[in-house]
Amino acid sequence: MEEEEKTETEDFEDFEDDESTRDIVIPGEVLTEDIKNYLPGRGTIYNKDKTKIVSLNIGLKQITKNYINVIPLRGFYTPRPGDKVIALIVDKNPVKYKCDINAKDFGTLKPKNTIKKGKIKGFRGSGYSQEQANTEKFEIGDILVVKILSADRLNKPELTTVGKYLGKKNGGIVISIDPPKIPRVIGRNGSMIKMLKSLTNCNIFVTQNGRIWLKGDDIVHERLLIESIKKIASEAHTVGLTDRMEEFIIKQKKKRGII
Amino acid sequence: MPLIIKDEYPEKLFREDGKRLDGRDIGELRPIKMEVGVIKNADGSAYLEWGNNKIFAAVYGPREVHPHHLAKPDRGVLRVFYRMATYSVFDRKRPAPGRREKEISMIVADCLEPVLFLELYPGTSFEVFIEVLDADGGTRCASTTVAALALADAGVPMKSLVSAIAVGKIDGKIVVDLSGVEDKAGEADLPCAITWYNEEISLLQFDGNMDLDEMNEFMDLATKSLKKIHQIQLDALKSKYITLKEEETKEIEEGVKEGEK
Repeated sequence: MEEEEKTETEDFEDFEDDESTRDIVIPGEVLTEDIKNYLPGRGTIYNKDKTKIVSLNIGLKQITKNYINVIPLRGFYTPRPGDKVIALIVDKNPVKYKCDINAKDFGTLKPKNTIKKGKIKGFRGSGYSQEQANTEKFEIGDILVVKILSADRLNKPELTTVGKYLGKKNGGIVISIDPPKIPRVIGRNGSMIKMLKSLTNCNIFVTQNGRIWLKGDDIVHERLLIESIKKIASEAHTVGLTDRMEEFIIKQKKKRGII
Repeated sequence: MPLIIKDEYPEKLFREDGKRLDGRDIGELRPIKMEVGVIKNADGSAYLEWGNNKIFAAVYGPREVHPHHLAKPDRGVLRVFYRMATYSVFDRKRPAPGRREKEISMIVADCLEPVLFLELYPGTSFEVFIEVLDADGGTRCASTTVAALALADAGVPMKSLVSAIAVGKIDGKIVVDLSGVEDKAGEADLPCAITWYNEEISLLQFDGNMDLDEMNEFMDLATKSLKKIHQIQLDALKSKYITLKEEETKEIEEGVKEGEK
């Protein structure tokens, strides 16, 4: 398959392998009383008198420069414009598809967003696409990789299938994990995902809404990969995970007789 | 012919050695055990054993509001469903939600709302399901405590946790954490809850007779006990991740030993 998840650098900053930042904090816990030197960052808030900074989430405390952040360990996916996510078509009518994207609202995919716009190269004259904008392209139950065009608190997110790596997925397995643990599956600069790909010979497509599409040569490799991803998700808050996972997979491969 | 057993309460609620009927001191809590992440299909869940109370709480959300007319366009809604199992009390509890269930559902929701950021999730709902399997006094306080724990486990942004406890007066003495018998036979009963963000009182109900000086004493005693309960809540939430960590370090150590051999 041709897909390769091109991962954004922004996500890797979430989980930095620094021993000193690995404190587990819970909502309401005081992170610091030194408000002169620190500012509240993501997942934190001042108390009413502005004398303390407290955590809002259950997560890991992290200090970057003079900001105190809390990286959540549990939570739900909030769609943001530009995210590539795996969607499942749950309903369709002549006007739109309704897609489950693991968020609080269903996403809407309009037929005009499923066909390419503009001139087709190599034609003279009226070289516009002849494709009709209707909802016969996909069926209920199809798995799509979509990009989010618009998303806010009030309206339903709008999706598109036009773009690189986007469109219908044929074959493979889709598994879901907790969305906040996705950066850990990718690893720093994609180290974890590269390791998983090379060791299990599988194609992996990781998306921000907690769903992972994978397809390998045979079911044995796929099973090993699924087990590894579940293990990563359950140990997301620990240090030195990539090395430990590499060891785990090599050990399991010997055990299962697949080398 | 149904079996009719009259409610009979002991005349004295203190033993001769000055302790309560279950052997506790005046300011002593019943044994408390908390656990999070017990229900697999829920977004967040918690289990609480508080004396003889056994309570499960599960959180789902943010999700669509059903029925739809309850949705608010500018903010989310927190819906709490407090239910008691039919076998949770001595007589069979009729399973339909009655006046009492509706009241407790409402007070738990009102009690937890100040710590949530519902304005960030317009048009959606967070749903908390509280199921009391075994009841022995103080279930509304226990429900509030366990619901806060389940919300935190679900990853819902919260300003702080919420803890609750009942303080009361039995045989003229002020005690904390009333059990079922003490609740019914005692003179006064005051459930209260605190949000640890700014330490504000989030719930205060009262039933019985007492004067203003006693009220202050009640609150002092409650604050002390609430701190203990808060600590147990913290430990329960953290232990989920810390136990995992310990297992891994053990694995690594074993791996190193194997390598040496």
